Amino acid sequence: MGLVALGLLASGCGSGDGGSGGKTEIRYSWWGAQHRADLIKKTIALFEKKHPDIKVKADFQEYEDFWKKFNTQAAGGNPPDVFQNSHAFLRKYDKKNVLLDLKPQVEQGNLKTDDFRNGLEKAGEVDGKLLGIPVGANTFGLFYNTEEYKKAGVTPKDGWTWKDYYAGIEKISKGSGKLAGDSGNASVMYLYDLVLRQQDKAFFTEDGLGFSKADLKKWWADNLRRTKAGHFTSPKKVQQARPKPALSGKLSAGEFSWDNFLVRYTSETDASIDLAPIPTTDGKRTGQYLSSLMLSGSARTKHRAEVAKFIDFMVHDPEVGKIMGYDRGVLATEPQFEAYRPKGVDKEIADYEERVKDRIEPITPHPAGADIVEAAFLRIGDEVLIGSTSVDDGVDKFFSEAETALGS
Amino acid sequence: MSDATAGPRKRPGSPRKGAGKGAGKGAGKGVSGRRLGRRENLAGYLFLSPWLAGLVLLTAGPALASLYLSFTDYNLFDSPQWIGLDNFSDMFADPRWRKSVEVTLQYVAIGTPLKLLAALGAALLLSSRRRGQAFYRAAFYAPSLVGASVSIAIVWRAIFSDDAIVDRTQRLFGVDIGGWVGNPDTSIYVLVALTMWQFGAPMVIFLAGLHQIPRELYEAAEVDGAGPWRRFVSVTLPMLSPVVFFNLLLETIHSFQVFASALVVSNGRWGPADSLLVYTGYLYEQGFVNLRMGYASAMAWTLLLSVGLVTAVLFWSQKKWVHYEGSER
Repeated sequence: MGLVALGLLASGCGSGDGGSGGKTEIRYSWWGAQHRADLIKKTIALFEKKHPDIKVKADFQEYEDFWKKFNTQAAGGNPPDVFQNSHAFLRKYDKKNVLLDLKPQVEQGNLKTDDFRNGLEKAGEVDGKLLGIPVGANTFGLFYNTEEYKKAGVTPKDGWTWKDYYAGIEKISKGSGKLAGDSGNASVMYLYDLVLRQQDKAFFTEDGLGFSKADLKKWWADNLRRTKAGHFTSPKKVQQARPKPALSGKLSAGEFSWDNFLVRYTSETDASIDLAPIPTTDGKRTGQYLSSLMLSGSARTKHRAEVAKFIDFMVHDPEVGKIMGYDRGVLATEPQFEAYRPKGVDKEIADYEERVKDRIEPITPHPAGADIVEAAFLRIGDEVLIGSTSVDDGVDKFFSEAETALGS
Repeated sequence: MSDATAGPRKRPGSPRKGAGKGAGKGAGKGVSGRRLGRRENLAGYLFLSPWLAGLVLLTAGPALASLYLSFTDYNLFDSPQWIGLDNFSDMFADPRWRKSVEVTLQYVAIGTPLKLLAALGAALLLSSRRRGQAFYRAAFYAPSLVGASVSIAIVWRAIFSDDAIVDRTQRLFGVDIGGWVGNPDTSIYVLVALTMWQFGAPMVIFLAGLHQIPRELYEAAEVDGAGPWRRFVSVTLPMLSPVVFFNLLLETIHSFQVFASALVVSNGRWGPADSLLVYTGYLYEQGFVNLRMGYASAMAWTLLLSVGLVTAVLFWSQKKWVHYEGSER
């Protein structure tokens, strides 16, 4: 049933390139919730007003459905002309010749790459090609329930260590509160990446995994021990709460995620949630980096110049920055960053990024197949924590699946 | 396959043959009857043509394409590369594929008989002539109308979660195993319960079957002193066995293809710990998420052949237990 619907949608969108009355029509799609869609639609209206000759057809889904639909459309030779993308997918789709190289558009003057903050314009470069332009930047952080932390007398500090952190988690879990100290991190690829980076390794190299079986065994065994001790939320409960995160589902006092998720957490719970620094191994390095959501063009688009102009407008126009705020991370370019005065939750995100500014390191690559590896890490990590797979078997299973995914 | 074993039936299966044998009906037609028959055939095919076009273009064509793809490495973007039987050997070596087979067989083996039992039970209760029976029939059928919808699967998921109604009820009885959805040992039973509850379609077929059984048989059995249980075992079941066979066949094939309910109950993750990784779900994930369309096609053809094999076994087994009135057994 779902497949048929996908097919119909794919074919239904097929007539989108002619447009009427001399207008060029481009299709734009992204992933996200309704809130993001409301904002983006306002920015599209703004773009259409300033470019009356271009019409933008918009379409969005939730994250996982987005890529299923995108794959089907792209395979049918009918992908959207311009779409939301992220670092993790650049190599994957470049290898399949899906992404438009925007370098020539920059040279022709349709797209400017100046005014980006923190060197972000380089985030979309792969093997000398420019495959994506960042709209915002985000970095990893610890989200915590301030009341629970206060009750247990735990205070997160800059440069605190994992030892400090786990001692605090234990205190919270054993304290008067009903919440576990942490939602459990065994299967969060982006957190394990930071832990590895603190040890001069990384989750991925250019074409494979950047850690050994022994590393992962230690990580999962450690997590399993803390789960069994009750310092982490029971993985069964975490599973059932999904898609709601355990933190906003009031199952734990803290969890790690991307800082722009603060918008989501605070909208989902009445508990007071704040951002704290990532614990370190040596008291200095958090291993964190800036990641970005980007806009990419389709290699098959018939309207390259229009796509480039559209992306240019979306990343540089100050009005667009004012409308979007930090929904997709802290705004990527100076004009947008300056134009927007963050308030409330966005202000907290801005403060957090200011606080960790000096700890930001360059991002490590995500090879083609990284998204499949991440899904396997999530799934098998959960199996290990639930206890349906032993640590050793889980590690073997993960390495074998990762090999298949990264090899293809 | 079916006609070879079924023997002559007293069912409206082949009207023309029946008319020929009938007492003189249409006897005057003779030779011209055959030509008429051919012309009727042509008209028949003409009337069938929209459906035939659909079969060729929408079913047979894609199916053959997928047969070809099952021998290739195809990622949806680059052109397919012929790799012979590699997909199949990869599949048999893939632990997740084996897990998906295990989950699906478990679902079929537990869910189908329970669903048929529920359908038969309800049909027996509803077959007697009583006031308001039509209302009860509609009421029992209702879950099948809404049951296929996504919203019901979501409700189901909520019912079987931690601290939800099922968890709280079982705790009253001292059973403390938590919600069923989050536990890899119990999550499959959420699916089984969901399919059991949708017994409406086989129930209606059972009802029709029950009404076909001649009353004289029951009267004769009663005269011979048979009690209700005896009448059920010796009259109802044998007389109903063709309908049981039909329902069993349909529901088994249907169960192998379970997809939507597992997707929704597991929230799109086929978990916890792959405990709801049904075959079609894994197929879908390999094809549309991991972009291994060749592998997914190989999985699809393996499923088709397996379901065909199971169907053949069922047809073979009916000789032993299905009773067709008027045939030798």
